[in-house]
Amino acid sequence: MLQALVSGALLGCFYALVASGFALTLSVTRALNLAHGEMIVAGGYLGYWLWAGSGLGPLWLMPVAAAALLPMGWGVHALLRRLPEPRELTSLTAGFGVALLLQDGMRALWGSDYRLIADSALTASLRLGPISLNRGRLAAALAALAVIAVLWVALTRTRWGRAARATALDEEAAALLGINTDLTGRTTLLLSAALAGASGVLFATLHYVHPAGGGPLVMVSIVLALWAGIGRMRSLLAAGVALGLVETLGVAWLGPGWRETLVAAVLLFTLLARGGSLARGMTAGGHAG
Amino acid sequence: MSASPAGLVAATALCALLPAAGLPPYYLHLLASAFLLATLASAWSLLAWGGQISFGQAAFFGVGAYAAALASIHGVVSWAALVLGATAGAAAGALVSAAALRLSGAPLALATFAFAEIGRGIAINWERLTGGGAGIVGIPALPGPASSPRAVAYYLALLLLTVTLSIFVWMARSRLGLALAAVRDDAERASLLGVNPAAWKLCAFALSGGLSGAAGGLYAHMVRVVAPDLVFSAWYSLVPLIMATLGGPRTALGPAAAAVGLYLASELVLQPLVPTLHQVGYALALIAAVLFLPGGLGGLVGRRRNAAS
Repeated sequence: MLQALVSGALLGCFYALVASGFALTLSVTRALNLAHGEMIVAGGYLGYWLWAGSGLGPLWLMPVAAAALLPMGWGVHALLRRLPEPRELTSLTAGFGVALLLQDGMRALWGSDYRLIADSALTASLRLGPISLNRGRLAAALAALAVIAVLWVALTRTRWGRAARATALDEEAAALLGINTDLTGRTTLLLSAALAGASGVLFATLHYVHPAGGGPLVMVSIVLALWAGIGRMRSLLAAGVALGLVETLGVAWLGPGWRETLVAAVLLFTLLARGGSLARGMTAGGHAG
Repeated sequence: MSASPAGLVAATALCALLPAAGLPPYYLHLLASAFLLATLASAWSLLAWGGQISFGQAAFFGVGAYAAALASIHGVVSWAALVLGATAGAAAGALVSAAALRLSGAPLALATFAFAEIGRGIAINWERLTGGGAGIVGIPALPGPASSPRAVAYYLALLLLTVTLSIFVWMARSRLGLALAAVRDDAERASLLGVNPAAWKLCAFALSGGLSGAAGGLYAHMVRVVAPDLVFSAWYSLVPLIMATLGGPRTALGPAAAAVGLYLASELVLQPLVPTLHQVGYALALIAAVLFLPGGLGGLVGRRRNAAS
């Protein structure tokens, strides 16, 4: 039981990183980037490729994969800013298209093989009293916490962070106050792509990646973004840990085959409980004040 | 709109002659598959008529396929099994609508997506009933003349598509279509005028689910195997969305014509040329449709919301 709680919490920290880019994009641009999962998988493939080629530690490859995905963020933003209203729905649809493109691109580049960064430094387990921890999971959780801490500082202590939060609260008012909301949206998408690349490398150390593997990741991202609400980055971590616990305990009770179904069910009940609005601070039709 | 019934009759008559004209079985199978996708696209636009965008038609397709397959391997006559598939699809549609009563727009789209994923999970994990990840094999073939085994499935798929298109044409002119259009344009005002949005939305979902379920049941008997990743695949949610968006969801023939055209183009032209990139055509078409179609998806979910944002 204690073991399950600890691994659930570790998984949750990692989930918070997985969802961070998606949640940022939703907050600032009101777009549901359905290709977020595929972007993470692309980061994972890139990480595997670099790791197999260079033998560098996966943690050092995170910034490389993050930088490599920046053009993807640029491209997605170029698409998103041209979408007609209602943006939640059109971004969902266009994001589906981008996800298909990325899947085929990865298939063409890397084939359909399952890849795992099986770094020997990450496979050993640590014993802490009654519980044993997989070093890879611990490292992923710690790296995720570190990135989220940096993100939190960036959002609360920098000019960009203030602009992003103002745009998330009310795009029109932010524009009236002299904030370049288009630029803020672009930097948000660039950051979101970088976060996807970095979390992809971590993902590839924990799970096998394959071109069609983005679905469960984007489902997790949607659940966390809905739970955390608009412009509430700190609650993303709490939401991640909560989902990690729900998933780990649910899987321990039902069996490992139910993992993805469980997340889908959580998504469904979250939507039903919200009763029409996507997330706190967001109405069905557009912005809340 | 007035040209639709005439065009529909002409196209159906033309298609009905093809097996007699000696089309090889492979092409009959290809066309029958295209008709099933066209049925899905048209069933999707029944929902879109009321402003409901579904990302989860695979749920109804899969439920129909499994219901028909299970009935068939337990000795039910094929025809009855197909009807059962349609009924199961309709029940699934009604269930989704009843659960997601208060949702619209993006939340509804995400909820239907989750429903399809849950259906897939149940099909994988309820092994005693569904055979788990391997699915159900050995579904009996449809009865018919041994000389042309594909022709029966072909005619059934054509019949199903014709029924679906007729229902769409009828719906667009009926009380149901009017009520759904009123709900789409402004649900609040419609309910003030005495239209009960929930009941009409449920009708649309049950209709759309039933037709998609019938397509799933027929698919199960054509391919004679069902598996979670086969019939609950996100593919069957995506294709109707893409085809109907491209073909113009407010038109009777547009979604079906786009489905048949795109599917045949993809299978006969794109697939042999670039086998690894078979999704690229669909993906680019979808993105282009969202970006450039006049009115686009935005036109589908009601004026009120557009004006507000």
